[in-house]
Amino acid sequence: MLELRLVQGSLLKKVLEAVKDLVTDANFDCSATGFSLQAMDSSHVALVALLLRSEGFEHYRCDRNISMGMNLNNMSKMLKCAGNDDIITIKGDDGSDTVTFMFESPNQDKIADFEMKLMDIDSEHLGIPEAEYHAIVKMPSTEFARICKDLSTIGDTVVISVTKEGVKFSTRGDIGTANIVCRQNTSVDKPEEATVIEMKEPVSLTFALRYMNSFTKATPLSTTVVISLSPELPVVVEYKVAEMGYVRFYLAPKIEDDEVDEVVEQPSKKSKAQPKDEDD
Amino acid sequence: MGIKGLTKLLADNAPKGMKEQKFESYFGRKIAIDASMSIYQFLIVVGRSGTEMLTNEDGEVTSHLQGMFNRTIRLLESGLKPVYVFDGAPPDLKKEELAKRYSKRVDATEDLASAIETGDKEVIEKFSKRTVKVTRKHNEDCKRLLQLMGVPIVEAPSEAEAQCAALCKSGKVYAVASEDMDSLTFGAPRFLRHLMDPSSKKVPVMEFEVAKILEELNINMDQFIDLCILCGCDYCDSIRGIGGQTALKLVRQYGSIESILENINKERFQIPENWPYQQARHLFKEPLVFENDEQLEIKCTPPDEEGLVNFLVNENGFNLDRVTKAVEKIKAAKNKASQGRLESFFKPVANATTPLKRKGTRCMIGAPTLLLKSKMLSIRISIYSRHRQFGGLPLLCTEQSGASLHGVPFLA
Repeated sequence: MLELRLVQGSLLKKVLEAVKDLVTDANFDCSATGFSLQAMDSSHVALVALLLRSEGFEHYRCDRNISMGMNLNNMSKMLKCAGNDDIITIKGDDGSDTVTFMFESPNQDKIADFEMKLMDIDSEHLGIPEAEYHAIVKMPSTEFARICKDLSTIGDTVVISVTKEGVKFSTRGDIGTANIVCRQNTSVDKPEEATVIEMKEPVSLTFALRYMNSFTKATPLSTTVVISLSPELPVVVEYKVAEMGYVRFYLAPKIEDDEVDEVVEQPSKKSKAQPKDEDD
Repeated sequence: MGIKGLTKLLADNAPKGMKEQKFESYFGRKIAIDASMSIYQFLIVVGRSGTEMLTNEDGEVTSHLQGMFNRTIRLLESGLKPVYVFDGAPPDLKKEELAKRYSKRVDATEDLASAIETGDKEVIEKFSKRTVKVTRKHNEDCKRLLQLMGVPIVEAPSEAEAQCAALCKSGKVYAVASEDMDSLTFGAPRFLRHLMDPSSKKVPVMEFEVAKILEELNINMDQFIDLCILCGCDYCDSIRGIGGQTALKLVRQYGSIESILENINKERFQIPENWPYQQARHLFKEPLVFENDEQLEIKCTPPDEEGLVNFLVNENGFNLDRVTKAVEKIKAAKNKASQGRLESFFKPVANATTPLKRKGTRCMIGAPTLLLKSKMLSIRISIYSRHRQFGGLPLLCTEQSGASLHGVPFLA
């Protein structure tokens, strides 16, 4: 039995718009903590982690940890039928093959039930270790979206470098190059317009712009975006969802030297008859 | 070719050992491919109409080059790193099978001649496909092409399949891609089918993991090899009357072919005379492969544009525009291959949630027959568990066969 009532239904709509381009099918996990999702894109380069904490829901009932496999495109189709001010309730029965989205208009004069079929999805859950990032950049989300969009007209990849001076986004393409530097700027009228850079050590990493652009679909969720960078770690692009949670995107960096070949770990336990070559 | 009926046997008895994967998800991975097998497929399929095939000005067949070129580019474009493995000398034991194939080819050649006389196009095509033989020249052509493209190749001392498996075991490649189930018997830890099917077919890649298969079949690798020999392999005959299911039962019961031979009814099952199952087993278990690092240098190099144009356009009559475009694609793919994978940073962990939807019903969206089935199931459940509402103790967990933590009654 599952019943989650979200007064600010538009949040869920926005969350779906933010992730559905990156991931087609995913398991939503429900536990006492909250409503969450973790999924990779088909080429296993980017990962989206969503959390909506239970406290953020007006009513949250989830008897045991369950997961619901959904096609995000279909889910988005259904949520598009909800008005922006509607209250959305997600309902599911044990052993049922469907999930129900109930939309209530603010003045309670219209109630709509949309029932969606669930899917069996085999997905791997990745453990994301807590990490201390070398640099954390907080900036207006619209600004970040604009930068990604602009740079992708010039090149395919973006180099994000954080130094004492600020954060630099640069790209290179057939027609030329582009560099955008954002400096730390805390003296603004509104706190959400500030650009704050916390840097322990300078860092510079390269990413595919295609994915970055896809992340910026989450811009409507939050006025600010937080980008965390460390060498040899995927970048984290985080959008807060009101006071109740976040959408985090992880993206594996481009590797400069493509002849760095890791020896692949093989899953075999028993079948191995021969020793591994040590001097690979 | 391969092991008879093994796919079905595994699908029935070890479904967890096989997994459907998206083609894109192999991005960045090194994959070993049996080249000779691919060449054979190309010679059969690419650019064929009747007995006519793609040829260059001198009338030499170029279907294999066309096929190899296009397929490799497709793999590279998706960020995969193919490693082609070529056959060496066949093991003695396979000679019998090869002789059979040879005589079939001779038959087909005769049939073809008579078909050409009668002029029945379908029959001509059928038999001309059967006369296909991969020659040394085809192999050499492809090796040269791949080298010019900067794709690594490995020349196996004997069977390419065995070498592929050895590469995979030592972790030099991520998986072996083939349509031939032999790879599993040679012990390739990860084996992919349908990887090279055209994308238009939309067939998902089927990934087999030997360790999981053995776990589910509840046998060890040696027994698995025996099972494959019993099912029927390239190296020796099998026992008439014993198919996959029986073989699995016997292997589970007696543990090895020796013990099976002692115990089964010899009247009912005819065991071939001088049955060389031990040699076959030896070939699977300790095939002749290169282990040495020097012989196995897997290195991608930048494509040789001039060389490719010279070889494909000047020598084999390919269209210059197409080749230049393809070279651009290879170069672009090179750039893409430098993208890291998330799994190299984050490791999979067990997920402790149970799906709301019960597994096993396999209700895909828009499949009416399956939908009906799942409805029937839910009716059954509502009979078994009366308390589906608040406060009850529903015991419908037995219906669930999901990943973990199932079978424990939960409080609703």
